[in-house]
Amino acid sequence: MDRELIKLEDIKMYFQSRVGLFKTIPIKAVDGVSVSIVKGEALGIVGESGCGKTTLARISLRLLKPTSGRIFFEGKDITDVDEKELKWFRRRAQAVFQDPYSSINPFMTVREILEEPLILHKVGDRTERLELISKALADVKLTPIEEFLGKYPHMLSGGQRQRVGIARALILKPDYIAADEPVSMIDASSRAEILYLLKELQEKYGIAFLYITHDIATAKHFSNRIAVMYLGKIVEIGGSRELVNDTLHPYSHALIEAVPEPDPSNRLRERRVLVGEPPSPANPPRGCRFHPRCPYRFEPCDKDEPELKEVKKGHSVACYLY
Amino acid sequence: MAMNLRESLKEFWRLNVSKVGLIFLSMLILASIYVVASYPLDFGVRYWNNPSYWADYPKSAPPAWVNLISSEKAPEHYVLTYTKPSNITLTGTERKLSYIFEIDFQADRPPSFISFTILDITYHERPSTVKLSVLRPDMKNIEVYSFIVSGPYLGEEPPYRRYYDQPKRISITGDMLTATALSRFLYREYNVTLRPSEVNSIGQHKILFSIPVRDREFKVLKGQYIFTIDVYTYNPNDEVGEVTLVIGGEVYGVMGTDSLGRDLFIGLLFGFPVALFIGIVTSTITTLLGAGLGIVGGYLGGRVDEVIQRIADFINNIPLLPFLIFLAFILGQNIWILVFLLVVFGWPTLTIIVRSMVLQLKSGQFIEAAISIGAPRWWIMFKHIFPQVAPFIFAQLIFFTPTFILLEAALSFLGLGDPTLPTWGQILEYGFRSGGIYVGLWWWIIPPGILIIWTAITFVLIALGMEPVVNPRLRKIK
Amino acid sequence: MALLEIVGLKLFYKSLRGIVRAVDNISFQLDYGEALGIVGESGCGKTSLANAIMKTLPSNIDKYEGKILIEGVNIVELTEEEVRRKIRWKMISMVFQGAMNVLNPVIRVGLQIAEPLIIHAGMNKDEAYSIAREKMKLVGLHEELFNRYPHELSGGMKQRIVIAMALVMNPKIIILDEPTSALDVSIQAQIMNLLKRLKKELNLSMIFITHDIALASDISDRIAVMYAGQIVEIGLAEQILLSPKHPYTQKLLKATPRLRGEEKPDFIPGTPPDLVNPPSGCRFHPRCPYVMEICREREPLDFELERNWRTKCWLYGGEHG
Ligand SMILES: Nc1ncnc2c1ncn2[C@@H]1O[C@H](COP(=O)(O)OP(=O)(O)OP(=O)(O)O)[C@@H](O)[C@H]1O
Ligand SMILES: Nc1ncnc2c1ncn2[C@@H]1O[C@H](COP(=O)(O)OP(=O)(O)OP(=O)(O)O)[C@@H](O)[C@H]1O
Ligand code: SF4
Ligand SMILES: [Mg+2]
Ligand SMILES: [Mg+2]
Repeated sequence: MDRELIKLEDIKMYFQSRVGLFKTIPIKAVDGVSVSIVKGEALGIVGESGCGKTTLARISLRLLKPTSGRIFFEGKDITDVDEKELKWFRRRAQAVFQDPYSSINPFMTVREILEEPLILHKVGDRTERLELISKALADVKLTPIEEFLGKYPHMLSGGQRQRVGIARALILKPDYIAADEPVSMIDASSRAEILYLLKELQEKYGIAFLYITHDIATAKHFSNRIAVMYLGKIVEIGGSRELVNDTLHPYSHALIEAVPEPDPSNRLRERRVLVGEPPSPANPPRGCRFHPRCPYRFEPCDKDEPELKEVKKGHSVACYLY
Repeated sequence: MAMNLRESLKEFWRLNVSKVGLIFLSMLILASIYVVASYPLDFGVRYWNNPSYWADYPKSAPPAWVNLISSEKAPEHYVLTYTKPSNITLTGTERKLSYIFEIDFQADRPPSFISFTILDITYHERPSTVKLSVLRPDMKNIEVYSFIVSGPYLGEEPPYRRYYDQPKRISITGDMLTATALSRFLYREYNVTLRPSEVNSIGQHKILFSIPVRDREFKVLKGQYIFTIDVYTYNPNDEVGEVTLVIGGEVYGVMGTDSLGRDLFIGLLFGFPVALFIGIVTSTITTLLGAGLGIVGGYLGGRVDEVIQRIADFINNIPLLPFLIFLAFILGQNIWILVFLLVVFGWPTLTIIVRSMVLQLKSGQFIEAAISIGAPRWWIMFKHIFPQVAPFIFAQLIFFTPTFILLEAALSFLGLGDPTLPTWGQILEYGFRSGGIYVGLWWWIIPPGILIIWTAITFVLIALGMEPVVNPRLRKIK
Repeated sequence: MALLEIVGLKLFYKSLRGIVRAVDNISFQLDYGEALGIVGESGCGKTSLANAIMKTLPSNIDKYEGKILIEGVNIVELTEEEVRRKIRWKMISMVFQGAMNVLNPVIRVGLQIAEPLIIHAGMNKDEAYSIAREKMKLVGLHEELFNRYPHELSGGMKQRIVIAMALVMNPKIIILDEPTSALDVSIQAQIMNLLKRLKKELNLSMIFITHDIALASDISDRIAVMYAGQIVEIGLAEQILLSPKHPYTQKLLKATPRLRGEEKPDFIPGTPPDLVNPPSGCRFHPRCPYVMEICREREPLDFELERNWRTKCWLYGGEHG
């Protein structure tokens, strides 16, 4: 097996949410997720709003400390390490954020934004830093470079801003990048452009890549493996092509079924859809979390939670059908 | 959208309120610079609150310009000082130093008193002689007064220095020598018989400035009076320091005087730098402290935040004015203590607002982005959070300034100001305390009030002008 | 006669930067029971077109002209009062972009549905409430939700409420402006199924606005592709989706990621045009792979490819090109 770069082990993240004056209830945003990414691999995480994707990504970057579970980076347990001792990790693990408008400081120029990580990690002198910045800008195809160095974020389009965000993530030559819906705020016709860029850089530099999205179609094209999340759990994980073409979990089925493709015959038939909406993560159903909406449920489903188990090589599912 | 400095300034300048505010502010600043450059810093203790310094000034005198609007002209007050003689006449070894004071007297009433002072005379052989004579508009000359500087003491060695720590003050009014001289003068020139004691009870200054009409009635004589003070010295090394003539009037200067005879113009002028100092220094410290604590508390959260919030809530719930009065009373009245108290009570409001802004900013993705590239907390607070709240903080700084000027005035008004520095609040307070308002001493009450309000308005105008610059960003944060 | 016929419609805004040509000479027809999809990138003028048809205009209008004939009545020429009395909500209604997020938070949703009946149609309360309940049932909401407040409903339910509000006066046409873009795919599919049912059962005509051509294919009988304030291609769904002619339509289809099949998504290089200073000639020419000399100079005409299928592209200009 390849060496795991980042490994999450039975991660649980319960947020305390206040109800009424004195009572708090736990929101089980992530509830027992184990997953790992090897060097140079792109893992896509798909799932509907609120299923815990962002929370998982933030934990993988140790921007959040999980309620329980362990985070390993190159075999080192970084779950409880003090922020001050984490500088080496901060240099090697980077993030690309969803919102290109709020993820970069509007008061800094492109150059300052890209120089900040270098300064913080004491990389090079002024001229060397400028060289690295120019190279990063060239990598994300923001050329001519001189033109962009002095620009403020409000002078850039959404796509250009997102490229700056990607350049910032790349400049320290990280081994791991978590990208949380990096293209959802970008116009549909330009999304693929950014995704290709990310993929190219990821392959070029052998970066392990976590791609969070609710768009399973792009996940299929831009990641090696896909994990489908439902209510804080991974319900199915496998190679992207296999997962899409040979779907196992009923929820994954429904998700794929719901994605429209440009086909004129669509309008002539109703889609098979799931009934209802996902329940609240504060109070997930017992047994299989999906069972109240599952068209195939049978006796064991509402008793115990099914384990995620490998049913084919590299393809695991948490469902009693298998 | 973030504006750069140029755009912000342009936006600011677009509004008329900003322009008026800036014009007012530059006036305030110019006045302050003038005062700081030309007054001694211990002006408060040495002059303002030193009654002997104002002994020569008329008490509760309205400004001189009221003569322009009243039908009967009141005599103006003159305090005229020479440090060099106007004229020196040599006869052998005798040197006559003449100090010549010309007064154009146009009032309908005679002056209220006349006096002169000599400061610091040094002689080596014979004591100097001092003589005062007056040439009236009717060309009549009167030798009013003369005296000889006191001689050497037993065993004293020359040079003999006199009147250097305390000036020699000679009041013509009430002086029997002068009364005798005037009694003779009346008899000689007008054939009017008045005994010196009668002259004294009518008033030497009155008789000097008028001509008799009927029995014991006098009419003011208008025109040019020349007062000459001659000092006779008998050694080339003899020196005279300063000679001052005071013609007591009923009106004085640009702003009048208070009941101690203090020149309100000077006091009010001195109030400019003090008001600006208190306003700007206090609000700067308050803003820095308040914003700093707000950023730190809001960003760090947890225990630190809890403590800051508790203290802020606590202070915020103390009724401000009574407590300030109490503390000022206990800690004593000193401008630094005052600034300290105002800061202590000023920061919580800002801290609470800044904290809530920081809480919103904190959830922004760029903060998370900064953490993920390994930025330490102080870096994030300084480089990422501060610039976003800076415009608001700056606006608050300007907004706080009038508040503190008003608060200082209020405290001074309650008698809790720093007694060593004249402030507008204190002038107002003294005016009230000595009943100035009840006897209609308007020139004492109105100007400090107007100045306080005007200064406050200046800053409010600037703050209003800044509103459109600052607000879009506030909205963006909210 | 078509139910709705739009001829040479223009809607320009005044702005600090200049005139925004948001809707620039648009013409199309809509039949009874037909769904027309309007597809285009963000900012191309889709919402503006919808607002122009509804005559719900902002105050900074520079130009509003052309013909909007609903059963022969030109609403461009009607007064606001007449539109309100005869057309809006009664003939044609709209689900505004993001409307589910601007429901009044302090009024029960049932009352929000009934409100126009009481205010505009002057019905009594009971009558209005029973119609509101009926419409809730129609959009698949249980009656017991009548007394809920918006925050007590999920996103999908709120979107259904908004659709019920648009249907309350039984309009013949409903304009849906991005009705599902804030929802998850599974909820989106539920709403799309609902719309298909409504279309069939009520013989409702629809104008379905979206930036997602795949989603448009889910309901549209015909599709109009908008670019920079203009319709660059319009035709039957089959024509547009299976044999797109305009280079922009082709690119747009290729940029849609396919879940089934191996074809990798493409993208359209360059940036969307500025509606204040649109490019000369064909507005797509700076991003077009087939650009020719004439494209830079002259604006392409509407070329008819087949009956009811036309495109604005010099490639199909024949003798003109
Ligand atoms: N800081 C927090 N405090 C309390 N609850 C939180 C917090 N962050 C997330 N949650 C809750 O945890 C759950 C999972 O949130 P998360 O943001 O991880 O979902 P997501 O899959 O990223 O959703 P989306 O697609 O909408 O981004 C949600 O119910 C959310 O409300
Ligand atoms: N009231 C207005 N005044 C000035 N410009 C406007 C106004 N409303 C919209 N615009 C501009 O007109 C253009 C078209 O806007 P419109 O909202 O119609 O686009 P859209 O296709 O609906 O976009 P989206 O997909 O983002 O909803 C945009 O450039 C927009 O900025
Ligand atoms: S007209 Fe020319 S530029 Fe425009 S789409 Fe057609 S080929 Fe491309
Ligand atoms: Mg998320
Ligand atoms: Mg729109």
